[in-house]
Amino acid sequence: MEKTRRDFIKIAGGAAIGAGTLLSGCREEEEKVVEKRGEIPKEPVKIAAVSFLTGVAAAPFGIPGNNTFEMLSEKINADGGIMGRKIELLSKDEAGGVDAQVKLARKLILDDKVDVILGYISSADCKAVLPLSDELGDLIVAYDCGTQELMEGSHSPFPVPKYELGFRTAATLGLDNIGLALMIKKYFPDIKRIAGINPDYAWGRDSWSIFEESMKKLMPQVEVVGTWWPPLFTTDYTAHISALIGAAPDIVHTAFWGGDAVTFTKQALGLGLFDKMTVAYSRGEPIPQEIGKDFPENQIIGCAGPHYFLYPPQDKWPLNKQFVDEYQKKYGKYPTYPCYHAYQAIYSYKAAVEKAGSLTGGWPTVDEVADAMTGLAIQTPSGNITIRADHNAIEDGLFGFTKLTSKYPFPILDPERIEVFPTFVVNPPVGIRTVDWINSW
Amino acid sequence: MEWFIYILNGLYYASTIFLISLGLNIILGVMGILNLAHGSLYAIGAFTAAWLITSLAGWNSPDVLSFIILLGGAILAGFVGLLLERTLISPLYNRALEYQLLITFGALLLFEDLIKIVWGGEAYYASKPFDILGKVDLSGNIYPIYFLLVIVIAIVVKLLTWLFLARTRVGIMLRAMSLDIEMATALGLQINRLRTWAFVLGAALAGLAGALVAPTTPVLLGFGMEPLILAFVVVVIGGLGSLKGAFIGSLIVGEIRSFGIVIFPEIELAILYLIAAIILVIKPEGLFGRIKS
Repeated sequence: MEKTRRDFIKIAGGAAIGAGTLLSGCREEEEKVVEKRGEIPKEPVKIAAVSFLTGVAAAPFGIPGNNTFEMLSEKINADGGIMGRKIELLSKDEAGGVDAQVKLARKLILDDKVDVILGYISSADCKAVLPLSDELGDLIVAYDCGTQELMEGSHSPFPVPKYELGFRTAATLGLDNIGLALMIKKYFPDIKRIAGINPDYAWGRDSWSIFEESMKKLMPQVEVVGTWWPPLFTTDYTAHISALIGAAPDIVHTAFWGGDAVTFTKQALGLGLFDKMTVAYSRGEPIPQEIGKDFPENQIIGCAGPHYFLYPPQDKWPLNKQFVDEYQKKYGKYPTYPCYHAYQAIYSYKAAVEKAGSLTGGWPTVDEVADAMTGLAIQTPSGNITIRADHNAIEDGLFGFTKLTSKYPFPILDPERIEVFPTFVVNPPVGIRTVDWINSW
Repeated sequence: MEWFIYILNGLYYASTIFLISLGLNIILGVMGILNLAHGSLYAIGAFTAAWLITSLAGWNSPDVLSFIILLGGAILAGFVGLLLERTLISPLYNRALEYQLLITFGALLLFEDLIKIVWGGEAYYASKPFDILGKVDLSGNIYPIYFLLVIVIAIVVKLLTWLFLARTRVGIMLRAMSLDIEMATALGLQINRLRTWAFVLGAALAGLAGALVAPTTPVLLGFGMEPLILAFVVVVIGGLGSLKGAFIGSLIVGEIRSFGIVIFPEIELAILYLIAAIILVIKPEGLFGRIKS
């Protein structure tokens, strides 16, 4: 096995401790070095949280994510902080594009000297910022972005981890789209025709290609009758909707989010699309709450992992009940998947610091935290996550059908038809590219 | 009967684009100003309408008010147009084109920030007018009545504009200005006042277009960019400074987009620009343009 920088530090650290014990009493200087390892700084631990606070991705993702970071920091601080250190949260805006985000991350690490960055909703921002972790020697944790490319190499098997100090504490869009295909195979085994309408940029293209590959393997008899690629932020989908109705698929795949999902759904309702076909929303979980009771029933919804305010059932999993209650009390809405992703990021960091700290006896170094984070498993409101050797978390995949009840002002996932696909069914093995894994089925 | 719906979709799209390009064309034809901030006036109309509708939602107001209130978008955009013309545009009349482009592009950036300051960075959802009108069954095809309303409004605006330009005194003076500004000046027309009115009219039309679109989609930052580019395509196809050109150009753009998305979904963006390029090669002044190149 190749020795990494962290391994070297471990060995060196171990040797230093060993030497220190041996030489104790002989040389005072050595003893001081060992004692220092046990110290925990008085000042707060600086955590930067980077999410969209302005722009189109703010309302659906950035603000719920940032709300959660703020709420949980307060909670952790009230409970005594991380190893006794309070959290000082620096909430930053992800707006401005890739160049602005690279500059911001450099500033956060070099000038503000943050202990960790938890951030990024946009896959483009993740891809641009994560390499800075190793370059500048600070921990960067991607918390929400979906591209499977982030931690993957160019061919399978690829060496892991891609970044020594870069992590992602959520699963990829592979889970969303493989899960949709599994869902369709289970509930619509006899369909013949599918179509796709996805925003014309990497997110839409990647989502469709994973879905299409999965469908080819799982249901080879199904024909793709059309794919549409409207530009991001299209305000008029009438032509696409009529074209979809004309193409007459049984199921339509879409990775629409935020305003695009709202516009498409509302206009599709107006044109009667849902009377003729079922729409499968890859990360649709927040959309019914955004649209309200008008959101159509019996549509397929993915939850970007197992993230839902009613799953795991609150009476069985108190952590979810507690999280939902606290969030709803504070912000007046039910938490959506970005909230759960934010939870996973900040508590993974906390758990890794505490795990590393319990071994070294003091505040751990960045490398020690990274070491502790690799292989870490923690409990979350959605169940649990495991961060693997590729520094990417894996999760179960939750999918369901919308159903209007008298209890909520928007359709929820029908409890009778909820499907949870286990991690090994919707996440590729370590070191294997998602596409290669699907093709190997 | 699917073709019938495709044509309607094209008409709906053409309607909003027509209102924007009509305003752009009046400003360009009468004043010779290429206004890059025109899309921002559209966005201001949309934000105003969406904001008014969401503000009304708390009150128990009659449904019809949420339609009348859409006019607020046109009025505020017209007012902003008045300020813009008086401050930034009026010093430009005798300057070269590059000054216009620089100043109006600067205004576009300024407006983006102003919108952010006034309405914040979040999206506005105000679908009430769209929702309450409901749907209609057109021989087996379901269609939202609101889209039909927008088409009717665009046709009415087209007729009113035509009447205004052909029959009213101010309209005739505006046409005279656009044909020969020196002669119009020599005949004693109050050029500056007419320019201001033309600009306010153009701005209000852009604002009306934005207000009409607002109930069909969340209104967000950068809302004016796509329509601005499409309005330029319309002006290129239809010809500079021509009411008929804006009308026919919008119809062409709307229908090509609608049918293009059905028949050639992979090149939905390219096909529009391809057609515009072909028209430019064959008829460089546009289909109904008066300005010879």
